[in-house]
Amino acid sequence: MFGRKKGKEEKDKKRGGGIKGILYGMAVHGSVTAFLRTRMYMEHLFMLMTLGDMLGFPIIPPYYSLRLLPYAVPNIKSWKTRLFRERDFTDMLTG
Amino acid sequence: MVALTGLKEFFERNSSVEVVIFAGKGGLGKTTCSAALAYHMAVNEGKKVLCFSTDPQASLSDIFERDLFGKGVIEIVPNLYVVEIDADKRIAEYQEEIRNKIKNMYGLDKIPEEIDEYISSTSAEPAMYESATYDAMAELVAAGEYDIYIFDMPPFGHGVRMVAMAEILTAWVDKLTEARKEAQKYESVAATLRGTKISEDEVLKELELIRNKMKAFTDLLVDSRKTAFFMVLVPESMAILDTERALAMFNDLGITLSGVVVNRVYPTDLLNHPDVPEFLKNKIIDQSKYLEEIKQKFGDYIAAIIPAYEREPKGLEMLPRVAEDLMYSKLSI
Repeated sequence: MFGRKKGKEEKDKKRGGGIKGILYGMAVHGSVTAFLRTRMYMEHLFMLMTLGDMLGFPIIPPYYSLRLLPYAVPNIKSWKTRLFRERDFTDMLTG
Repeated sequence: MVALTGLKEFFERNSSVEVVIFAGKGGLGKTTCSAALAYHMAVNEGKKVLCFSTDPQASLSDIFERDLFGKGVIEIVPNLYVVEIDADKRIAEYQEEIRNKIKNMYGLDKIPEEIDEYISSTSAEPAMYESATYDAMAELVAAGEYDIYIFDMPPFGHGVRMVAMAEILTAWVDKLTEARKEAQKYESVAATLRGTKISEDEVLKELELIRNKMKAFTDLLVDSRKTAFFMVLVPESMAILDTERALAMFNDLGITLSGVVVNRVYPTDLLNHPDVPEFLKNKIIDQSKYLEEIKQKFGDYIAAIIPAYEREPKGLEMLPRVAEDLMYSKLSI
């Protein structure tokens, strides 16, 4: 669902460069990160609603959720990790 | 509503009907009725007809005496097209389509193992089969290539449950769409703050597609001007009970029952024949009791009465006879 275009963002940031970048960093970077994190949590919740049977949660017929599967592919790994494990300090080391 | 003397009368009064569904217990003649109506509409009324079987037991193949299972749409006689869906094959093709989509989207040669396993495992889900059949039905009707669609539903519970399931699915998709839109808000706030554009959400588009497809079909099925539901029963106590239950369930689903077709009725004048054996006479007497019950319980719903035949009603020689009795019933209760 889900893949955001990182490449483009980085390019945009570089292009904006200089002062704009500093201002961005000072003013809103924190909230952007927070929004994106919330977005990711919601993404994971959405995946649970559509692809929950992948983890053993029974859901409504997978016929239609299969149509959504391709979009979820990039996030499956992080989704499973997050759902099956509490975060601990080792996550800070391994990312 | 008044009792009719054959389906011809029904179609004269309800000329806008384009989908006809026969439901009822297994083995009572749903497929026979579907095939006979399809035959009549195509041959006698020159309509382009699609007769569709959702029954995994390949019963249309049996009636038309031709192997139709999983063979796609086949023209039996001019204007009469028949399709018997091989749901397993359809599911397999659908899974392959999803695999290819993943490969193309991410430029992969091979699907990651756990995802591949997941896709394969979905075919074991019982509802998968029904969804695939329902989807096939919806697609055929949406394409709109025929004047009339006749669906031979698998034995009753199953058949009508598809309609109920479509409603649940629609509600589910609505909830998903809501959740998706909520999630998009966060992305859009982040995008605005960053001064970047938000990418269009393909998932929302897919959800919309699924929803529209299901909604169009469900709306059609519950619209009594366009869709006719007939229950087929025989004069036996179990079939009567089942029809009563079905009537209640139809009401719950907001479906109007168009009528009941009473099948396999022995002509009562056989009783006056001296050479009719005791065995058959007893059956006829037994049956008259149930016919009386049918008349009391479903009186005005009775739309057609089909006699019992001396031979199995199948093949292109017998079908015209069944069609004649279904459209213009000569028997009465």
